[in-house]
Amino acid sequence: MRCAFAFAALLLAACPAAAEESLVAGVSQDVVQISSTYTGTDLTVFGAIEQPSEGGVGDIVVVVRGPDAMTTVRRKDRIAGVWINNARARLLMPSYYFVASTRRLDSVAGRDVLGRYGLGLSNLRPDSAVSDGDPAPFENALIRAQARARLYAQNTTGVEMLSNTLFRVKVPIPAGVPRGPYNVQVYLFRDGTVVSAQSTPLYVDQTGFERGLYDFSRDRPFTYGLVTVLLGIAMGWMSTFFFRRGA
Amino acid sequence: MDLYLPIAQMSVQWLVILGMGFGVGFLSGVFGIGGGFLLTPLLIFYGIPPGVAVATTASQVSASTFSGVLAHWRKRAVDLKMGCVMLAGGLLGTGIGVYLFAVLRRMGQSEFSVSASYVILLGSVGAIMLNESARALMAVNEGKRPGGGRPGRHRWIHRLPCKMRFRQSRLYISAIPPVLLGFVVGVLSAIMGVGGAFLMVPVMIYVLRMPTNVVVGTSMFQVLFVTAAATILHAIDNHTVDIALAFALIAGGVFGVQYGVRVGSRLRGEQLRFFLALLVLAVASRLFYEMVAVPADLYSVTMGTP
Repeated sequence: MRCAFAFAALLLAACPAAAEESLVAGVSQDVVQISSTYTGTDLTVFGAIEQPSEGGVGDIVVVVRGPDAMTTVRRKDRIAGVWINNARARLLMPSYYFVASTRRLDSVAGRDVLGRYGLGLSNLRPDSAVSDGDPAPFENALIRAQARARLYAQNTTGVEMLSNTLFRVKVPIPAGVPRGPYNVQVYLFRDGTVVSAQSTPLYVDQTGFERGLYDFSRDRPFTYGLVTVLLGIAMGWMSTFFFRRGA
Repeated sequence: MDLYLPIAQMSVQWLVILGMGFGVGFLSGVFGIGGGFLLTPLLIFYGIPPGVAVATTASQVSASTFSGVLAHWRKRAVDLKMGCVMLAGGLLGTGIGVYLFAVLRRMGQSEFSVSASYVILLGSVGAIMLNESARALMAVNEGKRPGGGRPGRHRWIHRLPCKMRFRQSRLYISAIPPVLLGFVVGVLSAIMGVGGAFLMVPVMIYVLRMPTNVVVGTSMFQVLFVTAAATILHAIDNHTVDIALAFALIAGGVFGVQYGVRVGSRLRGEQLRFFLALLVLAVASRLFYEMVAVPADLYSVTMGTP
């Protein structure tokens, strides 16, 4: 939420200056449908800088965030020779995060600015954290795990400048991204500060037979369990006829 | 090709899953066991979350047990009254076991509990079987008849109250030991996904002193209903039953059993038990190793607030 507030404040601040340098951006799709056979795709974010000021182009940073999700991170400790979950943290973090920029983020802006907008994997902080002890190692562990699952990614050369004012970013949407409302934010930086920004919503939906099964297991768990057992038994039973004939 | 598991929410190689079902089915055909105690650890080694592995194995066991119950029923080798008495304890045990599992899961200790119960149970059962089959093999080599000293009558069993007559087993004993046995096996089914025959059959033979011709059928009867109940309760309490995984395992399993039975009929009993004991101990040591070895990542991530 902190990021959203910062973003809203920024938009208000940016409005009077709209006559100066500003951004127009769009997304290739506003709804991404993920089916069970889905292996991942690329989404394209494109845009242009309007009325660029003198003295070269600024830096573009594009961030895509998935819906916030509560995540439990546990740490194993050695207790009586056995590794056992001992400490835990509950963190509210985006379920998907991708950031791309024209160059290294630390040359785009200072740490405090990047931290305020949550730009870069190392500047990503949870909106709420309840932990046993220092939350930082838990946060880093979560970011590591999400990066392994390719749900968190950072590409410091991901913003492609097609001309002085036109840019394009390929956003990888891997299989297994969670469903929900996503947000694409495009920032224009100049001299380490944000001069313009734009936010575009995006919806990721899971469809297909497997999603139906998941919903079934959540909505009517008793029926789902019973169906699994009965169909399983039917499969096992029918196989005996099959083999009796074959023998 | 990938198979997407809707509940585990991960992609797996469907050939690997079919192969696991086949392999475990084959072994259960060879050794005449349910195979649940091999399937759950295999699934965990493959990366399936332990909760899903346990609950889904329970459904696989119920599916593969049904035809066995039917066959024994036709041969009148099921003591229905004994089965129902054990089942009363079994269903209670399953309910408590699934509840316990949900509590452990919320504490983040379900993975550890599953591993620990497997290490303890497989370790001790494997050691006993290895010892017994090694003696039997040596006795055969020395030209003696295997088996021999039968333990004396268990007097304490006859002093317990609530006696019932079990006509088919030709027994007049207290209902307490069968209910208790069913209860323990029910808890194990819920926490480990196993049928529990490896524990039930010896107790039925040596403690309850049931005639061997009804032991297998009656234990299968109990296993069928207890694992079915465990599946449904896990689906309700823990949402961990993966229907796609279950069907792939069952499909592989039904073929495996057929081939396993053919191979098993060519091997001698003590040899079979010896190999099975080695297999059980191997699974137990692998699980034990994973508990004591330094984990690759000390941190683990679970979505949501379980």
